[in-house]
Formats: sequence, structure tokens, C-alpha cells
Amino acid sequence: MGDELKNRLRDERARRELTQAQLAELVGVSRKTINTVENGIFVPSTVLALRLARALGTTVEHLFQLR
Amino acid sequence: MLSRNHDARNAVEFADFISRRRAKGTALAALAFLIIQGILHPVFRTDAYAQSGLRSYMWAINAALLLALILPAGGLIWGRRVRELVNDDVSRANARTAAAAAFWVAMVIALGLYALPVSQAMTARQAIYLIVLPTTGLAPLVFAWLESRALRDG
Repeated sequence: MGDELKNRLRDERARRELTQAQLAELVGVSRKTINTVENGIFVPSTVLALRLARALGTTVEHLFQLR
Repeated sequence: MLSRNHDARNAVEFADFISRRRAKGTALAALAFLIIQGILHPVFRTDAYAQSGLRSYMWAINAALLLALILPAGGLIWGRRVRELVNDDVSRANARTAAAAAFWVAMVIALGLYALPVSQAMTARQAIYLIVLPTTGLAPLVFAWLESRALRDG
């Protein structure tokens, strides 16, 4: 149960040369949401994780990992 | 399509602006409330100031208004899209955390007041004031801090 959720959201967003605001527009959330997910402050819902993965053209498993 | 993208960008940027302004405004309102109450402490006064009916209720009205600042509501003039972005999952989680922090502070103060010797007994109004004042000040401050952290770039 001591697993920590890590994510590659910032790297994947930067790879696609998107700003936080641009990714927020694509996903339909606030920039605040993108920022907090990237910084590990906010754990996204399953729906949001799927939407992020779809917007970045990748999979949820690639974006988020348990360590 | 261009117009839709433009609207979406505007909504995200405007929601960001509103969220920042709300965080600052909430913190300032909470600090002003605590400072004013620290100076006036109307419930513990026995002079003419405390005799005025409206004045004796103003702190409670202000406290209720302050708590309303952390509710995921309002902003009807911004439109549904911006409202949803401002009061998103992150803000709702921040409001819940702030309310939980205030709850524990209220419980600790309430138990502390109950443990006071009978000789230091106070009126119900005074006890309520001592419980409500710090908690209504704390909840918006915690919310504002969490929101500011969520909005911080990087």
C-alpha cells in the first residue's frame, strides 16, 4: 500500500511542445489541474487519466506508474 | 473550429486569472476578518458597542460570508465553462481539505473550552465565538494557500 504514483505528464507534454494551458484546453480541464497532476499534488480520476492519455496520444500505463 | 479553440483558450486563461484572484481575495478577506475581530472582539465587550443589535450579529454574518468563499459555487456571470474550470476537482479537494482542517481546530478548541475550570465559565455566545472565529479564519486561509500552491507555475 506504500506505492507512490509517479507520472510522465510533464515530459510527454514537453515532447509535444504543449504548454500547460494548451494541454488543459485539449483535455477540457483547468491549467491548475494539469499543474497539480504534473507536480504529484493531485491524483487524477480514472476518467481524467484516460483523457490525458488520449490527448497526448499515449496510454495511461505509460503516463502513470506506481513506484 | 478556430473559434472553438480560441474560446477554449480564453476560458482556460480566464479561469486561471479568476482562480488566482479568488485565492488572493480569500486570503485577504480572512486576514481582514481575523484582524478586525482581534481589535473589536464584540462578543466579549460590555460597552455600548456590544449593545447594538446589528453589531452583535455582524461578526457571525461576516463569518458565514467568509465560509461561503470556499464553497464551489458562485461566478454565475462567468458562464458555465469558466465556472466549471474554476471550481474543478482540484478546488473541490482543496475546499474539503480546508474544511477538514477547520473541523479539527474547532474540536480541539471546543474540548479545550469544556476543560476550563467552572470558575472561568463563559456564555454560550462567547464559547461559540471562540470556536467559530479561528475556524472561519483558518478554513479560507488553508483553501487560499492550497489554491495558490496549485496555481504556482512549475
